[in-house]
Amino acid sequence: MSAPPILARDLVRRFGDELALDGVTIDVVAGEIHAIVGLNGAGKTTLMRILVGMARADSGVSMILGHDSGSAPAALWSEVGHSIESQFAYPELTVVENLSTAAELHGVPRSEVSDLVSNAIEKFELDHWKDRRSRTLSLGNRQRLGLAAAVIHDPSVLVLDEPTNALDPSGVVFVRALLTDAARRGSAILVSSHHLDQVARIADRITVLHRARIIGSLDPRESDPEKQFFDMVYGVDRTLDGGG
Amino acid sequence: MRAAVRAEWLKVRRSSVGITISLLLTFALPLMGFGMYRVAERGGTSPLALKASAFLVGEGWVGYVGLVAQIVAVALFLGVGIMTSWVFGREHADRTFPALFGLPTSRPTIARAKFVVLGWWVLLIVALIVAVTALLGFVAEVGPSHFGDIAASLGKLSAIAVLAALLALPSGYVASVGRGYLPAIGALIVVIAVTQIVVLLGTGGWIPFAVPGLLAAGGDLAPTDVQIALVPITASLGIWLTVRWWRNAESNS
Repeated sequence: MSAPPILARDLVRRFGDELALDGVTIDVVAGEIHAIVGLNGAGKTTLMRILVGMARADSGVSMILGHDSGSAPAALWSEVGHSIESQFAYPELTVVENLSTAAELHGVPRSEVSDLVSNAIEKFELDHWKDRRSRTLSLGNRQRLGLAAAVIHDPSVLVLDEPTNALDPSGVVFVRALLTDAARRGSAILVSSHHLDQVARIADRITVLHRARIIGSLDPRESDPEKQFFDMVYGVDRTLDGGG
Repeated sequence: MRAAVRAEWLKVRRSSVGITISLLLTFALPLMGFGMYRVAERGGTSPLALKASAFLVGEGWVGYVGLVAQIVAVALFLGVGIMTSWVFGREHADRTFPALFGLPTSRPTIARAKFVVLGWWVLLIVALIVAVTALLGFVAEVGPSHFGDIAASLGKLSAIAVLAALLALPSGYVASVGRGYLPAIGALIVVIAVTQIVVLLGTGGWIPFAVPGLLAAGGDLAPTDVQIALVPITASLGIWLTVRWWRNAESNS
């Protein structure tokens, strides 16, 4: 049986004395949206950074499409899209130039770049701003640009950290549709979010990361994911801190 | 590599930093040299005239281009250094560095592409400085000189400019390690100050950063071939360290 497109096993990462990940194991299969939820500093971004080779684990296994994230062949990354920590948005470049550059760096042949950029601009509703430099865009439109740059090459693996940040309600609905559509076409999607109600609507699985560890999972079909989440988190806090 | 080079060239062409530095280097340096030459030529006892005269290494074209070369030796080092610092440091300052991970175009390839583009840009700037210097000299009728003297002076100016630019490339490493352009620009200023002091102590051309200035000054101070060879070695070391850093770095500190 082949490895799932996204796999982390027993990942440990420290920053000095701070344990950022403590034996984290997670996977995402093709056609699945797997959401990670947790409070700030839980370790979500660190996990995603390790998965796409932005950081190294102290121990454990991190694999993308069956290859170690830290030493995967360059060509493999043309199958991966991510938006973690920041967006692909150079302030001096226009929206069109940013998307063209992102497409080329993602390995898209030059002859196909123009069509892909036009499609992305239409799909992400950036037409009005396509010739504007990205430094002049609102935070929300910059987020749209970053997401468009992350998926312009139609990757089969997506790793997105807080993709709905700064988006207006219509943007949030758009991202939900974007992810469910990508999953329907077979992409493996790992997404983090603070908005439990949002991820509950699209995720096939929801994993809770707290204090560097996976402490459980939430059922997306349950009616009150926030209550489930806080019960789980406070339960762990009481255990670890020795509270009542 | 081609995609990365195209991306870097586009960034440089679109940046206000790139355009401003290019214009300043192209026009300000020859004009400063020309102004100093005119002041020295007129003579007098003002502090500026005495200083300009002290830097004059000949008459006519040789003196004029020599003065431009002495300015270029320091100012081009600083200008190319600022540009190099920006090219590498801006990825951190603008928080675009994380987006360069997880791409089929690897980060070492992107770092090499940045140096390729900087190389093209330096050649263009050096050519423009030489052209503006020559144009100013002809228009202002700097003085009678043989064509051979003019060509030799401009050739020496080109060589000094290329050496000064090469020495600025290691600032890409400082900008990478320092994760921003400001640490690298600070380092450039420190290097200029320390080089001045160390040369006064008698180290001569054994400090690579002093080589362009000493070559421009000429005479007894002129560096040896071995000392000149230290310049490309220093640049190569800086490029190698930068590419290695880009290969091994994590997305943030």
